[in-house]
Amino acid sequence: METIPLLRELSETPGLAGHEGPIRDLVRRLWSPLVDELREDGLGSLIGTKQGTGPEPRPRLMLAVHMDEIGLRVTGIEKGFLRVTRLGGTDRRVLPGAAVVVHGKKDLPGVVGMRPPHVVPKEQRKKPVPWEELFVDVGLSEEEIRRWVRVGDPISFDRELVELKNGLVAGKALDNRASVAALTLALEELSRTQHAWDVVAVATVQEEVGLYGAATSAYGVKPDLAVAVDVTFGRQPGVSADDSFPLGEGPTISVGPNFHPQVVGRLKAAAEAHEIPYHIEPTPGRSGTDAWAIQVAREGVPTGLISIPLRYMHQPVETVAVKDVERAARLLAAFAAGLEASFRPQWEE
Amino acid sequence: MRDLIRKLTETYGPSGFEDRIRAVIREEVEPLADEVRVTPLGSLVAVKKGTGGGRRIMLAAHMDEIGVMASHVDDKGFLRFTAIGGVNPLTCVGARVQFEDGTLGVIGVEGKREDRTKAPRLDQLYIDVGATGKDDCPVRVGDAAVFVRPFAVRGTRLIAKAMDDRIGCAVLIETLRRLEGTSNEVYFVFSVQEETTLSGARTAAYGIEPDLAIAVDVTGTGDTPEARPMAVELGKGPAVKVQDRGMIAHPLVRDLLVRAAEAAGVACQMEVLERGTTDAAAMQLVRAGVPSGCLSIPCRYVHTPSEMVDEGDVEGAVKVLVEAVR
Repeated sequence: METIPLLRELSETPGLAGHEGPIRDLVRRLWSPLVDELREDGLGSLIGTKQGTGPEPRPRLMLAVHMDEIGLRVTGIEKGFLRVTRLGGTDRRVLPGAAVVVHGKKDLPGVVGMRPPHVVPKEQRKKPVPWEELFVDVGLSEEEIRRWVRVGDPISFDRELVELKNGLVAGKALDNRASVAALTLALEELSRTQHAWDVVAVATVQEEVGLYGAATSAYGVKPDLAVAVDVTFGRQPGVSADDSFPLGEGPTISVGPNFHPQVVGRLKAAAEAHEIPYHIEPTPGRSGTDAWAIQVAREGVPTGLISIPLRYMHQPVETVAVKDVERAARLLAAFAAGLEASFRPQWEE
Repeated sequence: MRDLIRKLTETYGPSGFEDRIRAVIREEVEPLADEVRVTPLGSLVAVKKGTGGGRRIMLAAHMDEIGVMASHVDDKGFLRFTAIGGVNPLTCVGARVQFEDGTLGVIGVEGKREDRTKAPRLDQLYIDVGATGKDDCPVRVGDAAVFVRPFAVRGTRLIAKAMDDRIGCAVLIETLRRLEGTSNEVYFVFSVQEETTLSGARTAAYGIEPDLAIAVDVTGTGDTPEARPMAVELGKGPAVKVQDRGMIAHPLVRDLLVRAAEAAGVACQMEVLERGTTDAAAMQLVRAGVPSGCLSIPCRYVHTPSEMVDEGDVEGAVKVLVEAVR
């Protein structure tokens, strides 16, 4: 698979938290040739199992990426305009001027506008536009729009993936479609490699609103070991060096209480053996990613986290380096292939 | 018990890095328990099998402690750090910390702070391990350290770092030593990651499926100068938790502990804690719910490197617990 077209398709396909239908269909289409079995769980996470070559009962490695994205939700219809609220961690400062798609009975293109600056009192112009002054305009009359749109309908950003210079791409929902791409590429690589463990790829739902898909899918999969892939803060102006990671220097491997030291050790060893550059990401508490919900499923799951550095998180111009996506994929595949049939994570003393 | 408390409090074990403290506790409980195992997240479980027909009881004391984690090494070898658990910047300046490999560091504060009458923020502090540059700095990003302070005794008061919750671990070990002749199956759990997420006790409880769970942890007091009002004092006996920020104790467990104190002839206090919570909050929500409560050791200066408890309260807690699970 070519990485940029894959990223483009994943980024541009809608799949808001709790409304993951379109992105799930796409991931199902991408994964079905790469896994032996594909199912959905009760919350809508997609679970693909690729059988290993080890003796039964085989241990299970869960590789988790969330496929949901942030956006907006309709809360009211007033004189033909849609009043909205955030769905996930959408920042209202990026809304004025945005192009969106309203997912009603049919998809309707829309825009988010605000009052012309000329009529806004000077003092108010310095502040972000409050939610109650933000509306989505799809161009329809009050009567017409009520035929197609109901309160509760989700709204996604409408943004084509842009190729920037130097191997960077920018678009919406690269949190976490960049990781969905990485896991897809890893599955492709694993279909050419032997692996002793069963590899269970999970595209989780509802991460952006509370890690719910990871919690329920980890309960159902009952993995012996898990690695989540998500995005982390990329280096950009205004973000300090100890809180961010440069684009193009490889993924990060997280260290801290959320992660089993042997999983961390093996991720580092796999990266070094395959000459994949990486940074260590110190994470002193819960990671805020699917890795946290998975770690505390049932009796607890030894867990690791790989992150792809990304600039402008939760804005429709999220930016990643294509080669970091490919490196995360290689790291996942190398880690999975390196798990020998007899290995089980242990605690050392 | 003093030697045990000294050994437990002086051992390294921040949340997520509990290998050393687990080894120390394992050595203590192995000769006393019928079975010892480690959960997938690293909690240590020592089982005392009963004579049969009784209940399955889980006792939990967390073995992790608060600490710091290196987040950045600058060109001169100074470390920036982030907190593991509730670290107060007020207690950091001039403190010494130790990494797992023994490397000692001193916490300094930036000289150019704007308002020096205010407490510094964590990001204005750094650790100096004596390195002259990045190359000879033995600490890497992601390494964790704990505060260093020797155990001390003043009268009946015991003072140490990590009394929260190694004193609970000591109470569990001593209870295991003294417990005999019960029909109940008792699980002594030394949990990981309480200070960050309560995840050790939560996942251990899932595996054990107890009928009843009791956390043993420290609580605050209201008996120091200009303290926040709180009706718990050092030296007035262990405290039976009624409520904290994370839970309301199950009335059956609360009353079980009060009756056990009466039966054992131990004075106890009732505790309402307005800040903080314990493993009990996580255990009570596991599976279909576990009736849970907490026996607390009153402790002054919680989350500083000089946590102080009273020896009589500790001894009382052991007696109450032995009686309660018998």
